[in-house]
Amino acid sequence: MRLMRTSEITRRPVVTMAGEDIAQIKDVIYAAGGGTVGGFTLAGRGLFAGPLKESLAWSAVSALGADAVMIRDESVLQPTKAVLDASRASGGSGANVLGSQVLSDAGVDLGVVRDVIVSVTTGSAGQSSGQCDVVGYEIEASEALGTQGEKVLIPLPDTIAASGEHLMVPASAKEFVGRDLAGFGAAVEAFRAQLGGPR
Amino acid sequence: MLFSEARGRKVVSSSTASTVGKVSRLVIDPTTRAVAGVQLKKKTERGDMLRWSDITAFGADAVTVTDADRVGDGGDTVQALSGKAHRVLGKRVLTSTGDELGTVADVDFDATSGALIALLVDGGTEVEAARLVGVGSYAVVVRDGP
Repeated sequence: MRLMRTSEITRRPVVTMAGEDIAQIKDVIYAAGGGTVGGFTLAGRGLFAGPLKESLAWSAVSALGADAVMIRDESVLQPTKAVLDASRASGGSGANVLGSQVLSDAGVDLGVVRDVIVSVTTGSAGQSSGQCDVVGYEIEASEALGTQGEKVLIPLPDTIAASGEHLMVPASAKEFVGRDLAGFGAAVEAFRAQLGGPR
Repeated sequence: MLFSEARGRKVVSSSTASTVGKVSRLVIDPTTRAVAGVQLKKKTERGDMLRWSDITAFGADAVTVTDADRVGDGGDTVQALSGKAHRVLGKRVLTSTGDELGTVADVDFDATSGALIALLVDGGTEVEAARLVGVGSYAVVVRDGP
C-alpha cells in the first residue's frame, strides 16, 4: 500500500510499457461517491499541449508509481465521456472536493480541503492495479483542531457524505489526524477499525 | 563488454586488412534484448550501419567484418531501431510500477552473441537485461525488481 497526494499525481506522465510518454494526468475522476479513483482525464505532453479527448480508466492503469503512471499501450485509453459516465454510474459525484468545508457529525468545522490522499494497492505481479482508495484529506485546520492554519491530514471512513459544499466525517476522525504521509496509513486503518468495531 | 568500451573501436575488413571505420554507437533491439547493429562514426556512400549478423567478430581490439561492403543502411529493422527514441544511454529508467531508478549510464553485453547482459544505471544499480520491457522516447521500461 502506498499513499500519495492527488496534487502530486496530476502532471505525472502516462508512459506505455514501450517507454513512450503519450500523455500526462490532468485531473482525477472520482467514483463510488468520491471514495475511490475512477480514472484520470489527460492532457498532452509539453508546455502548450491542451487536454486530450481520451481519458484513462483506473482499470486500465497498470501501475501508479512515484514518477509515472504506467499503461500497457495507447489502446487502453477510452473516450473521456465513457470514463466519466462509468464513474458517475457508480455514484461518483465528479464534483471537486477541494475547497469544501469538512464538518464532523458533531457539527464542528474541522477545516477546508486542500488535497486528497489516496492509497494505491498493487494487484498481483504488478500486472493489474488493485484499488485506488480515497483514504483522507489534507485540510487547512480550523481552530477546532488546535492547530489553526496548519495543514493536517484527516482520515476518512470507507464511505463519505459529500455535497460539494460540505463533507461529513465522524467526530472521532479528529483523534486520528496526522501530519505527514509516513504513518498516516496506520492512522487510517486504526480509524476505520474503530468505526467498524463496537461503539 | 560495455558499450563505453566498444565506442571508438576500429572496424577492420578481414579481406583487405584495412580500417573500414570506427564504432560510434550500438543499436539494440529491446524485444530480443540483443545488439541489433553497429553504427559507424563516418558515413560512407553506402551508409554507416553494420548489422550484427555482418560482423565476423567483436574482438577486444577491433571489430572484424569480411569486407568493407558489409557497411550499408542496416536494413529496415536496424534503421527503425537506430532512431533517437530507441537509444538507451542517458535515458531515464522506469520500472513497470512507475518508479524511476535513474538514467542508463552504460550497457553490458556479450561480445560473442550480442545478447545484452545488464543495464548499468547511474548510482550503481545494475538491472539484468532479462528485466527489459521496452525502450521508448521517454524512458527505458524494466520489470519491477526481484
